[in-house]
Amino acid sequence: MTSYLDASLPTRSEHLWRYTPWSRVHPTKVDELPSVGELVIVSTDLEIKTSSKMNIQHGNDIARIFLDEVVEQTHVLTPGDGISHIEIRAGGHAVAAHIHIEATQTSSVMFHLSGEAEWVGLWLTGNIGSNSHLSVGLINELSSESILVRTDNWNVERDGNFELATLSLGGQRIKSDIRTTLSGSNSTHKQFIAVHGHGTRHDDHHIEIHHQQPHTNSKLVVNAACDDRSHSVGTGALTIDDEAQHTDAGQVFRNLLLSQSARAEAIPELEVMANEVAAAHGAASAPLDQMQMHYLMSRGLSKEEATAMLVEGFLVDSFVEVRSDSIREAMQTRLTVHLECKLIG
Amino acid sequence: MGEMMGDELLRIENLHVSVEGTSIIKGLNLTINRGEIHAIMGRNGAGKSTLANVVMGHPAYEITQGTIHYKGSNIEEMEVFQRAREGMFLSFQYPAAIPGVQVGTFLRKSVASVRGEAPPPREFRKELKNAMEQLSMDRSFLSRYVNQGFSGGEKKRLEILQLLLLQPDLALLDETDSGLDIDALRIVAEGINSVAQNTGCLVITHYQRLLDLVKPDVVHVLLDGKIVQSGGPELALKLEDEGYDWVEALA
Repeated sequence: MTSYLDASLPTRSEHLWRYTPWSRVHPTKVDELPSVGELVIVSTDLEIKTSSKMNIQHGNDIARIFLDEVVEQTHVLTPGDGISHIEIRAGGHAVAAHIHIEATQTSSVMFHLSGEAEWVGLWLTGNIGSNSHLSVGLINELSSESILVRTDNWNVERDGNFELATLSLGGQRIKSDIRTTLSGSNSTHKQFIAVHGHGTRHDDHHIEIHHQQPHTNSKLVVNAACDDRSHSVGTGALTIDDEAQHTDAGQVFRNLLLSQSARAEAIPELEVMANEVAAAHGAASAPLDQMQMHYLMSRGLSKEEATAMLVEGFLVDSFVEVRSDSIREAMQTRLTVHLECKLIG
Repeated sequence: MGEMMGDELLRIENLHVSVEGTSIIKGLNLTINRGEIHAIMGRNGAGKSTLANVVMGHPAYEITQGTIHYKGSNIEEMEVFQRAREGMFLSFQYPAAIPGVQVGTFLRKSVASVRGEAPPPREFRKELKNAMEQLSMDRSFLSRYVNQGFSGGEKKRLEILQLLLLQPDLALLDETDSGLDIDALRIVAEGINSVAQNTGCLVITHYQRLLDLVKPDVVHVLLDGKIVQSGGPELALKLEDEGYDWVEALA
């Protein structure tokens, strides 16, 4: 496997790094492999086994090569029935961790990422076994100065069902590269991402979903509400192999622009090799709807309260199909508290 | 608010209103006192909804001349939410859908805003239950998103549910009867009547059938941005029978 210092650095012509160059999210300088500490990972309701670092096939992406070298161990979760809550705490200069989930039944895992580290590397991997169901929620509430590099690799086996919900609220600069492979027939993946951009926050989500087998289904919903001078990026890469007949896949990116200076990009891309498939994608960016604002204000809500309610509704709407009630409710609660602080004060 | 003349709630004098440079209301006068029900009828495009929206303070409507006094004060500079908190309510002809916001959450926040404090949860639940029963609304409404996927009739019931909860001083009801079947119309009319005694009501409608159930004190005919005729309930009956041509001829 290529070592980081021998790897060639990506240029901005690459789809993945177009909007957030690697140099802007590296913890120091790109020609350095700095010392990186461990994220603190705790749970009161699930045993976390720590082992020497697992060997994960991840391709030659620079962020994964980097994380593979700086992380020394893997935290392995084997969740049972019901929901498990995992706290990921980031302190110090630069910290990272590799967390791997083996799903063999119907399980839910709720990650809560917080702390004030300057740089955080989070590598999530998982295998959703045959006929297993896994729901994962991740709430990012890092401090407003943190840089986050997140890479995910998920594999869904035959008849497996995987849903992944992300609520991205914290951090200054975020680069997430989330990849899911539907390697078994009749497997399903639904992914929901809600982003609140505020201040000068830069939040870049790249989502790859790869259908390898027939009768596979996927859905991606990305809703980003951008305020102040924030910048949200959503790029999707949906690949349907020629064997993956009778696949049904859809991607939708929506951006709500709350200020003149906020920016948002939404670029879904499809590569469809099979011919008996349904594949749809859409992207839209718009300011707050003035009819909705007028309606809420005519019910006594101030401009700030009406804005907060519309933003909350817009972001909550991205989670409406999350099957796990616990994850959906946890995200809504955090979102409400966050918006009350940010938009109403 | 300013000094009121008796039970006067709304006084509109020589009102001229434009939308994106187009003049819609052209010299309208109207006074509504507490306890009175005024009906406004008129053809499509006469300015009925514009009147309701400009009184509520919609920012797209520009007052080019004249005044609107509410409870004795000129409200031209008053924000929409301040008008609501001062007891003004508009039942929208086309209420906006708010995805992701549950009806229950919306009602609780709205009531808290208008009353100035959050109602005690237990009392509010009881109040809500009673109002919903009055309107034959199922409790499952509360967990649905505001107006999203609602039928026309469901939207209008939600508007009247808000009327019952907010107990306004002035209610502007913009075609609240449109899209309702006979049974729903009766239920909605009972809701309006239950708040009308202590409220000033402006009922905008195309149809006499609502005015059979919500008895107006005064009926006005709006033509081309002006009130051209006012009278008792018999005026609505005449319009139903004869249309607007005769009023136009008089004007």
